[in-house]
Amino acid sequence: MKWSTRACARGEIVTTLTYPVLQVENLTMHYTTRKGAVKAVENVSFSLDKGEALGLVGESGCGKTSVALTLLRLLPENAQFLGGHVYFFRDGSDEAHARRAVGKPVKILADGQEHQGRLLELGRSELVLEAHVNGRTQPVRLSRDRIARLGVDLTALSDEEMRPIRWKGISMIFQAAMNSLNPVYKVGDQIIEAIQTHMPISIPEARERVERLFQLVGLDRQLMDRYPHEYSGGMKQRAVIAMALACDPDIIIADEPTTALDVIVQDKILREMRQIQKKLNMSMIYISHDIAVIAEVADTVGVMYAGGLVEFGPSEAIFKSPIHPYTKALMSAFPSIKGEKVKLAALPGEPPDLLKPPSGCRFHPRCPFATEICEREVPQFLEHKPKHYAACWNPLA
Amino acid sequence: MNRLWQFLTSGMSKFIIMRLLQIILVLYLYMTLVFIILEAQPGDITDIYTANPKITPEAREAIIKQLGLDKPIHQRYFEYLKNFVTGHLGCSFKWGNISPTPDPICREQRPTWDLIKERLPRTLVLFLTYTIVSFYIGFFLGKLIAWRRGAVIEYLSTVIGVTLFTVFTPWFALLLVWIFAVNLGVVPIGGFINPDSWTNIRQVGSVDCSIGISCSNVVFNHMLLWLGGLTLLWGIVYLWSRRLPYAWQRRAVRWGALAVGLILAGSFFGGGWLGEVDRVVLARDTKFQFFVWELEFPAGTIPLYPLVLDFVQHMALPILTLTLISFAGTMLLMRNTMLETMREDYVIAAKAKGLPDDVVRDKHAARNALLPVVTSLIFAIAFSVDGGVFTETIFSWPGMGQLLLLSALEQDYPVAIGALVFTGIFALVAHLVADILYAFLDPRIRYD
Amino acid sequence: MQAVPTFKPTEPIWRVRLQLLGRGLKSSWAMFAESKIGLTGLGIIIFFALFGALWPIYPWLMEHIAWTPEELEAARNAPYGAISSIYQVYDPVVGYDPLIPGIENPTPPSRRHPLGTNQYGRDILAQLMASTGSEFMLGVLAAVITVVIGTLIGAITAYYGGFVDTFFMRLADVFILFPLVSFLIVLGSMIELTLIKLAFVLGILYGFGQITVILKSQALAVKVKPYIEAAKVAGGGHFHVIFRHIIPNLLPLSFLYMMFNVTGAIFSEAALSFFGLLPGIKVSWGIMIDSAHSGGYILGGRSFQNWWLWVPPGVAITLLCSAFYLVGRGLDEVVNPRLRKR
Repeated sequence: MKWSTRACARGEIVTTLTYPVLQVENLTMHYTTRKGAVKAVENVSFSLDKGEALGLVGESGCGKTSVALTLLRLLPENAQFLGGHVYFFRDGSDEAHARRAVGKPVKILADGQEHQGRLLELGRSELVLEAHVNGRTQPVRLSRDRIARLGVDLTALSDEEMRPIRWKGISMIFQAAMNSLNPVYKVGDQIIEAIQTHMPISIPEARERVERLFQLVGLDRQLMDRYPHEYSGGMKQRAVIAMALACDPDIIIADEPTTALDVIVQDKILREMRQIQKKLNMSMIYISHDIAVIAEVADTVGVMYAGGLVEFGPSEAIFKSPIHPYTKALMSAFPSIKGEKVKLAALPGEPPDLLKPPSGCRFHPRCPFATEICEREVPQFLEHKPKHYAACWNPLA
Repeated sequence: MNRLWQFLTSGMSKFIIMRLLQIILVLYLYMTLVFIILEAQPGDITDIYTANPKITPEAREAIIKQLGLDKPIHQRYFEYLKNFVTGHLGCSFKWGNISPTPDPICREQRPTWDLIKERLPRTLVLFLTYTIVSFYIGFFLGKLIAWRRGAVIEYLSTVIGVTLFTVFTPWFALLLVWIFAVNLGVVPIGGFINPDSWTNIRQVGSVDCSIGISCSNVVFNHMLLWLGGLTLLWGIVYLWSRRLPYAWQRRAVRWGALAVGLILAGSFFGGGWLGEVDRVVLARDTKFQFFVWELEFPAGTIPLYPLVLDFVQHMALPILTLTLISFAGTMLLMRNTMLETMREDYVIAAKAKGLPDDVVRDKHAARNALLPVVTSLIFAIAFSVDGGVFTETIFSWPGMGQLLLLSALEQDYPVAIGALVFTGIFALVAHLVADILYAFLDPRIRYD
Repeated sequence: MQAVPTFKPTEPIWRVRLQLLGRGLKSSWAMFAESKIGLTGLGIIIFFALFGALWPIYPWLMEHIAWTPEELEAARNAPYGAISSIYQVYDPVVGYDPLIPGIENPTPPSRRHPLGTNQYGRDILAQLMASTGSEFMLGVLAAVITVVIGTLIGAITAYYGGFVDTFFMRLADVFILFPLVSFLIVLGSMIELTLIKLAFVLGILYGFGQITVILKSQALAVKVKPYIEAAKVAGGGHFHVIFRHIIPNLLPLSFLYMMFNVTGAIFSEAALSFFGLLPGIKVSWGIMIDSAHSGGYILGGRSFQNWWLWVPPGVAITLLCSAFYLVGRGLDEVVNPRLRKR
């Protein structure tokens, strides 16, 4: 548990009691294609707290969606997971969650300390962890009522074991919402299906729940019994949001939630999503290539380029004083209404081919500040300013 | 009442009505086309209908008058259409009259319509059974093969599928007859019934068995009625049960209805029925007859099940042949469409919702992959009907297909043309049913 | 003032078009060659083509490879039915082997008759080879007619729309529903069908049916492309637009469906000859099966011993039909980019 003071994009300063829900460490993943391995995600690490809105921004093809799919373990067959941990945290008293974690790598936050290892035993009052301390493996006993958060490594779960976590722990709003609704079933039925998979409630109760969800997202109750082709684009988006909220998930991942919509509807939906997020104190991960969208909704921003996370920090810091040259270039491409007139600088070149990415820092061919070391070695992801990380040999400011 | 009105004004029923109207139009075009082709034949059209030496000149005159063959072409066209609608299609050259009350026009020859009426149920039984079975097997296998990819399975299924799909039907039918009937001897070589089994039956219901095979027709028609009726009723129960909220309720209702239907059918065919019989003997028809029995029954009753078994054992091989030929096409297509559907976003979304693997496969992927397959089935109806012609001939199954072929070979034109038109109508009705099925499956094409 | 230079194209336009065509074909071939299915089908077709082409020299080949000089002598001087040329032995319609007494026929495969002889003494392999040519010709002719009709009608209905559209679509509905072989059976009983007539009938029946619907929707997709507008603005008349722009874009799809039509044509011919409805044709695979069947050699007692009578023609029909189908499937991946593997 910690106090967090966040400066959000809109200039609000919020101090809340918050705790982590997700910790991603060194996530690496390739796609195997006929032409070779596409190195789509390389060493991505970030964390997400309760109630936080994280925005992942980057060009198309930089790996944002791949990261999201990896979290839910929804990758296609030709995807190869190469390493990393995705710790999904729940309260220490959550019995079902703890039981699922037995035998798996876990991370435990207790008494302000972090313990990492494999969960060996789960007793009623205490648990046993197999941790690596000082190069040796030894069992660590922890009293269960001192445990604040227990996080299980999702990458170590089998597909069947992931099922209870999908949608109820982490849900997702897919890119191009119109395609994530099955055209042959009524919309309401599809949401009820999600609800009934995770919660043992009767159909009338589920229907009531869907009605309330529809109300929350601003859809007419009667639309529940209609088919997706009878909805407009904006309505479909709202329906998909309602579906994502259906099981009260801990985290919602919204992948390009408004790309397929026209600008006016886009604005409206983004604002409503932000409202819902604040109201329910949800943790969200927004993914977009449009920096304006991220600016609108995110408290924390992660900038991705060519499969790696190049900068990560509070959104105000990222926008006002970016560290990585790529982030700066993204800002330059985004005109400011209030600020002085600046010439829009387009980045030269194109995003690299991930089959054969550039050596060292993947951005170096396009970077105006690149030096010799940038070509040789991959820069480390370091905390250059408080809570503001970047991976660059020549950071700005 | 309100529910009925709701259904009548729904998109679904509007669709059905539209399709019906279109079908009537198409039927009209088809018959016109046949008429044009008839007219285009060298020779007199009156010859086509009346050239049989067995017909007396007066009868020939009567036929010519009745069918309007002596009038100019436009009037003939209308007569032709009218005749089809009223059901008089000319008289057979070959087949003689067998009914106690001869048709006033045809006298000693059998009216075409009579022949068709007798044979249609037999083709219907074959067609319905093998269509449903082959579709379901193809659907099931295609769905499984696409879901669990594997190089060996895909290769095997492609090879087997393409072979069965393109195999030369008569040759394949002969092959199967040779394997199963001649060598293994588990099924009779051909035919519809074994006459020996029926010789001791004098009367079934009110039908006198001494006249040809009319008794077997009665029993067979009852079989068809039960088969069709039960399927229809079960279909309605299935549709109704979709509104039930719980899965266990739905399953209970459906299986319960099936059980009830089977019990009803069993009691009808298993119990005694009115008739007169000395003994019922199921005679030896194959090398390894599984059941030969002689049964004594109290006077006045006949159990129908041995007779039904006689039909069934004759139906087994034709249905097997037709199923083997047809399921491959469905399976290959289902596999391909399923592979495409599996990549759709809503399948990934379904998985993301935490649904079990087989639910994602069946309820989401397969359900959508089904749609193009049903569409292709519509195109394949004509092909199936043709396949039926070959199979019926090889197996001597006396249905519409065999009628068509035999009459064509004997140059019995009225029957051949009548059978051709009826085959067309048959295909049209099948087309309509398939269209309705498709509208039922895909809500996007209804006229809402 | 300088004269305005006139632009002289360096190459005649027809040659440029040919080069573009060649390049297009090469890349299509590369894509086609990637699909194993298509290649298998093509392989089988080539095999059959060679097989059929071998037919004229087959007797000569047998004379020099399989017959010993003594046998040739004996054949020339046989008491009954002496032969003057080896071609008489291997004639598919009236051939016979003078060294084999009539009652011994059918004979199993032997040195002089690699696939044996049928009950009339005809060499089976000769019959198989001789029919290949007519099967191919029939299939290709019917398919070409179909494609011509289908493409023309598809393009015209898409271009003009309106009443023309509705009329042909309704007509196509009827033709799709046509139980083709049944119709051919009745037709065959009324008029005498020769191979050419059959090809024409098949071509017409197929041409107005499914292929028209598919090509029409493809033509519609082409019609709304910008270059059609451009062509019209540039002054292209109706014919010009249809023949120079729409139809070339339909050709790949037409070609694809042509494959499936060849399958259907061969199948129909085999079926009709099996039932004896094609008296105009002297020898074909269907007829071979028919003579085996009517001779009682298939369902009689010793059918397995007479396998060479009916197995080769059935296998041949199946193989050739499936070969064209496989090529069609392989082409499908070229024409339909959606189906290509990742």
